[in-house]
Amino acid sequence: MKLLQIVVCIKQVPDPEGPVDAFTVDSEAKKVIPVGIPPVINPFDENALEAALRIKDTFGGKVTAISMGEKLAQPVLRKALAAGADELILLVDQHFKDLDSYSTAYVLSKAIGKMGTYDLIITGRQAGDWDFGVTGLLIAEMLQIPGVNLAQKVEMRDDGIWVEKLTRHGYELVKVPKPALITVSNELGELRYISIRALQSVREKSVNVYRAEDLDLDIQRLTTRKIVTLSAFHGQRECRFIEGDSHQQKGENLALKLREDRVI
Amino acid sequence: MKREIQKQDNGKVLVIVEREGQEIAPITLELLQAGRELADQIGSILCSVVIGDNNNDLAEDISQYSDEVYSLDHPLLASFDPEFYTSSLNQLCQLVNPTAILLGHTLNNQNVAPKLAYKMGREVITDCIQLAIEGGTGHILCSKPVYGAKFIATFKLEKKPYVVTLRSKAWEPIIPRTTKGEVIHIAPVLKEASVKVECMEEIREESISLYKADAIVSAGRGVKNAEGGLSELTGLVEVLGSYFSRVELGASRPLVDAHLVPSSRQVGLTGEKVAPELYIAIGISGSLQHVTGILRAKKIVAINTDPEANIFTVADYGVIGDFEEVVPALIKKLEELQ
Repeated sequence: MKLLQIVVCIKQVPDPEGPVDAFTVDSEAKKVIPVGIPPVINPFDENALEAALRIKDTFGGKVTAISMGEKLAQPVLRKALAAGADELILLVDQHFKDLDSYSTAYVLSKAIGKMGTYDLIITGRQAGDWDFGVTGLLIAEMLQIPGVNLAQKVEMRDDGIWVEKLTRHGYELVKVPKPALITVSNELGELRYISIRALQSVREKSVNVYRAEDLDLDIQRLTTRKIVTLSAFHGQRECRFIEGDSHQQKGENLALKLREDRVI
Repeated sequence: MKREIQKQDNGKVLVIVEREGQEIAPITLELLQAGRELADQIGSILCSVVIGDNNNDLAEDISQYSDEVYSLDHPLLASFDPEFYTSSLNQLCQLVNPTAILLGHTLNNQNVAPKLAYKMGREVITDCIQLAIEGGTGHILCSKPVYGAKFIATFKLEKKPYVVTLRSKAWEPIIPRTTKGEVIHIAPVLKEASVKVECMEEIREESISLYKADAIVSAGRGVKNAEGGLSELTGLVEVLGSYFSRVELGASRPLVDAHLVPSSRQVGLTGEKVAPELYIAIGISGSLQHVTGILRAKKIVAINTDPEANIFTVADYGVIGDFEEVVPALIKKLEELQ
């Protein structure tokens, strides 16, 4: 049987779990500037990578991780190799700076197209920076393959790819022929544990770096995000702390306070 | 297509009606409010779009909120299929040449919106909480929380029709008018052969709607780690039932990821956005991904052992303490106060 070819798109983002004050904003340049926190693989893309690796565990195959950006931190993205991806492709070019979702999907679809055959493309449901959640499905449109979003489980069967797809009231089991694109949600599960040793072992492993000129791209088609304003988003409220000599008393006082303020 | 439709210079604002079975889903009324404000600003009319195989009642119902109703009827639209939905909407857009298409940021539309935008050669801005028209150019400005709601960014779309998805609870529901809009039936041309993604089975887990709750007791990591934690909260939900008409148990992501609570109860960026009268966050640290889901709650109570927890910065009332001791006392007092 032919080796199953799985592509996972991974985006480098400032760690969304980083402390709130580690993110500053340059309103003039309309840019978010992370301070003192390292970039990470977008957490939903880690779920996507885990989906790919589980398929590889069961059915065999080759997992290729692919990332795009103006500048990419190799040590961060090599984590994909340490987790079990077979190949890492980096698309790096000054033209790839601040691209909008459409252009991002365009570059990625060109790169994936260049790889030749693929059976399954997996992306995270959305990225922890701009939270658009459209790049994956746009790649599917551009490659003219079916796209299924918000998967919590992906399985290969003889008659196609079976996906558990989230719905408002549970999930839907759908079947889709190969090749297809699947976007993955956190319900699928976290990326497996990676030992320090595994991380060290891939430090010297070669990665394939492509520039815009290698990809048969129409540079004129690349467009950046049109951000008009960017500012801090405050939901702060004045918190009244309920006092009490014990936790029990605080609980009682909370009820009394809510009654006093007519909340209940 | 059954009839000629007049194209307008100030193209129509289309709102895609969300349904729950044969009912109008509540988010629709918010979309219509956003659509009405937009239509007023650009001097255009507001049109609802109902999609299904027998829309008569729904179309009639929605006509009290809109200037026109497009009813897209086709047997293949009986249940949701992103390909058919997108194709039907694209055909409608070709016909009426709208200025804007507003969709709810629902799980289904997270698939439909990018597909539709791509078909029309347009961009899409998703999960917006504010819309405005730029003076002079008439371009649309769409604001949305970014970086897990740390910031709010305003994006500009320059090419009509604008495709935008809107977050629930960001607009007030629209108020019906005394006049009803005309219902226009359109039969899109769809072919069965274009099905690529086949639904094999629908699995309904516990079906709840946090959206409709007027009080929510929500559990976080602190509850996950506590023995028998959720049962305490169930008790609190019960007693609050005598104060509120609909109380639900909610959760932050760690509990959903640990499969302790179904996804439908998740509050936050990738879960539900809620706006109850009372939201009680228990053992929730208050990551921004969670907080973005509760910004519209009237009153927020936070119970947490960590005085530095971010949840206290967005709460109206805070209790620093172990919920396993605080909650039983709270329940007891609430019973007394009834």
